[in-house]
Amino acid sequence: MEKINLRARFEKSGRAVYISHLDLMRTMQRAFKRSKIPVWYTEGFNPHIYLNFPLALSLGVIGRAEFMDFAVTEPADFAALRDSLNREMPEGLRILEIFEPQYENKDVGFADYRIDFHGGAEPCETLSMLEKMLAEDKIEVDKRSKSKGMVKTDIKPHINVMETELCDGFLRVFVRLPAGLKMNINAGVFTDAFADYSKIEFTKICAERTKILCLDGQDFI
Amino acid sequence: MVKNRIENLLLKVKSPSRYIGGELNSVVKDKSKVDVRFAFCFPDSYEVGMSHLGMKILYSLKNKRENFWCERVFAPWVDFEQLMRENDIPLYALESLDPVKDFDFIGFTIQYELCYTNILNMLDLAGLPVKAKDRTDDMPIVVAGGPCVCNPEPLVDFIDLFIIGEGEEVNLELMDLYADLKKRGCSKKEFLEAAAEIEGIYVPSFYDVYYNDDGTVKDVVSNSSHAPHIVRKRIIRNLDEVFYPESFVVPYCEIVHDRAVVEVLRGCIRGCRFCQAGFIYRPFREKSSDTIVKQTKSLCESTGYEEVSLSSLSTSDLSDINETLTQLSDYTEKENVNLSLPSMRIDKFSGELMEQIQKVRKSGLTFAPEAGTQRLRDVINKNITEEEIIRACRLAFFEGGYTAVKLYFMLGLPTETDDDIRGIAELAEKITDLFYSNPNRPRGKHIQISISCATFVPKPFTPFEFEPQASEAEIKHKQKLLLDSIRSRKRINVSWHNYRVSILEAVLAKGDRRLCDTIYEAWRLGCKFDGWDELYRYDLWLKAFEKTGVDVDFYAHRARAYDEVMPWQHLDYLVSKEFLVKENQKAREGVTTPNCREKCSGCGVSKCIGGACFGKDKS
Repeated sequence: MEKINLRARFEKSGRAVYISHLDLMRTMQRAFKRSKIPVWYTEGFNPHIYLNFPLALSLGVIGRAEFMDFAVTEPADFAALRDSLNREMPEGLRILEIFEPQYENKDVGFADYRIDFHGGAEPCETLSMLEKMLAEDKIEVDKRSKSKGMVKTDIKPHINVMETELCDGFLRVFVRLPAGLKMNINAGVFTDAFADYSKIEFTKICAERTKILCLDGQDFI
Repeated sequence: MVKNRIENLLLKVKSPSRYIGGELNSVVKDKSKVDVRFAFCFPDSYEVGMSHLGMKILYSLKNKRENFWCERVFAPWVDFEQLMRENDIPLYALESLDPVKDFDFIGFTIQYELCYTNILNMLDLAGLPVKAKDRTDDMPIVVAGGPCVCNPEPLVDFIDLFIIGEGEEVNLELMDLYADLKKRGCSKKEFLEAAAEIEGIYVPSFYDVYYNDDGTVKDVVSNSSHAPHIVRKRIIRNLDEVFYPESFVVPYCEIVHDRAVVEVLRGCIRGCRFCQAGFIYRPFREKSSDTIVKQTKSLCESTGYEEVSLSSLSTSDLSDINETLTQLSDYTEKENVNLSLPSMRIDKFSGELMEQIQKVRKSGLTFAPEAGTQRLRDVINKNITEEEIIRACRLAFFEGGYTAVKLYFMLGLPTETDDDIRGIAELAEKITDLFYSNPNRPRGKHIQISISCATFVPKPFTPFEFEPQASEAEIKHKQKLLLDSIRSRKRINVSWHNYRVSILEAVLAKGDRRLCDTIYEAWRLGCKFDGWDELYRYDLWLKAFEKTGVDVDFYAHRARAYDEVMPWQHLDYLVSKEFLVKENQKAREGVTTPNCREKCSGCGVSKCIGGACFGKDKS
């Protein structure tokens, strides 16, 4: 059977942020099934709809430009595919566009986040604590290693805070973090490190992933 | 607004998607435009409750009515419950996220005894008094249905009214009545009086219970002109035409039964004497293959599920099972949908059925001989012979290539002797030998037999309702004997349910009104999720028994005379007491009763429905 590989860029927001990665897989498969598009099934004893997510998103983080790979068995109009799928998406999930993939999973290198730190301190105090943390020699966090269990890792060289904004009641931070197979730092690792360092008791931390980039800095598409 | 407040907490708990609603096919209405709001509560976790078919049926049924809005509520897991209590978040419904204390009805479906404390906990979490007498007219009416309400007595202090039997018609009648009386500004008491006149509605506060000196029930008497002396259960006459949902709410997280489910028949022709479901769901009624196929397609298409299960007490008893499966597999194969067939009887296991099951995935096979010897299988009227078991296993090993079999048994059945226990081991050994006698068995493969033993719990409305449950010492002896009787320890593994859970089931299943205090006390001491091993607190239950003066032996371990008034005597499940007595006597003599299709055993149901259940005289 013909197999045409496609990639969807989608948004995960609202109530859908509470869908875990594993559950997202199932949710998407069911939406594909309902949509009746000519989706490609894996071959084998127990065929299922093929789906691949180049980069998982942590529970609770909003995704504005997430990616999902699938395949169809016959050529189809991308906009029509998108619309068929969107008719079946539950609240908070929306396909933005469908295209032919250019990069592979292994090319993913970075992700950009917009993180709002609410409450606990005045935004300007939060900012000065952030600056103080970034000026330290090391920012050590406990990171799970495949072979050694929990190990102390210095994430300082990997944190690229690109911009900060003092807002009404919260501090907004734009940060680029390594993502993908070689080195991966979730937004949560960064926010935990900051909460831990600053001792500020934030009332709410809203994280949003805005972009996924390749190792060479190109947009992942 | 509840939504903002819970969102701050969700990332701190396990599996948060189960607390926020918004699932596909969940029904959201404009509350200003509905007359009656119903909070349908399942007193267990989301994963368990969302798997329950009855809730799916009644949810869709009620929401199909424009002026009713039915929402779902589950027991929050302990981590979220703690956060809810700390942050003053009351129990809310998943569709609107509104507190359930503002609803017109709170309805519980009660599927097993081990969820009773969760009912109290959910009412408390809702911010309502758990006892019905403490709830005022401005609070919701609390109702309950489901199989356990065939003996609702241990719950009468907490529930305003019980719905006895099948719910499709009576639920709507009850809500219509409420809508009408609400408009006229009637009191709760007036509503309960009117409700008690609907067939199938039991309002416990309208009944007084009198006891004998020995502690047994003397009589249950109606104290209201509105309440009948005997409340008869409701049944749906035509299952083929009864409402069935076209779609299910599709959860995000994985639930226990994560698939489309089509109910193919109701009731059971078998009459296994230990099985409550086999008696309380009579008469046997089935759907046509056209209806089953139509409902399967509709559910698969609206949910996107990749698996559909044909559900019933005994799916292989469907008259045209082969025709139905042929029609269904045309559809499911084309659509890459797996067809699963639970509840297949060993004597109906054929090459054709095996082929159907294998299309899904070749997992282990499960059979339920229930008892180890023919004598005891005759006592419980299982009507399965050893030859049939061996034949089914031969088919599975020699033709199906199976290498694992799971066998379900019960320990502590009436008249059980040590020989019956040894019989379980002997049967397992015979199956092992059979496997190795296959010259073409998969090379290097060995057989794995899992024996799972439950402790027999005598249940109301069965021929064994008179029987005592075996004591802990007896069960321990039987367990040890079984282990000692098994030679091939490597190939046969044995597991059993926790006896201390079964004993609570027995007490609650056969209890009377005096147990309300015990349940209240157990809950107050911290019991909840009693069905979950990691949360079950037998020590606290013992304390509650002691504090409320309840003698466990009196309820669980005492043989009851045929003429004893049972605490549930004022409820009529269509099966006559004379029949239960007759069946109990036949059990004692080791005499079997043919299934309903072969010969009517005169259980009393056909008299109530005004005609035979089968054949040309079918009503």
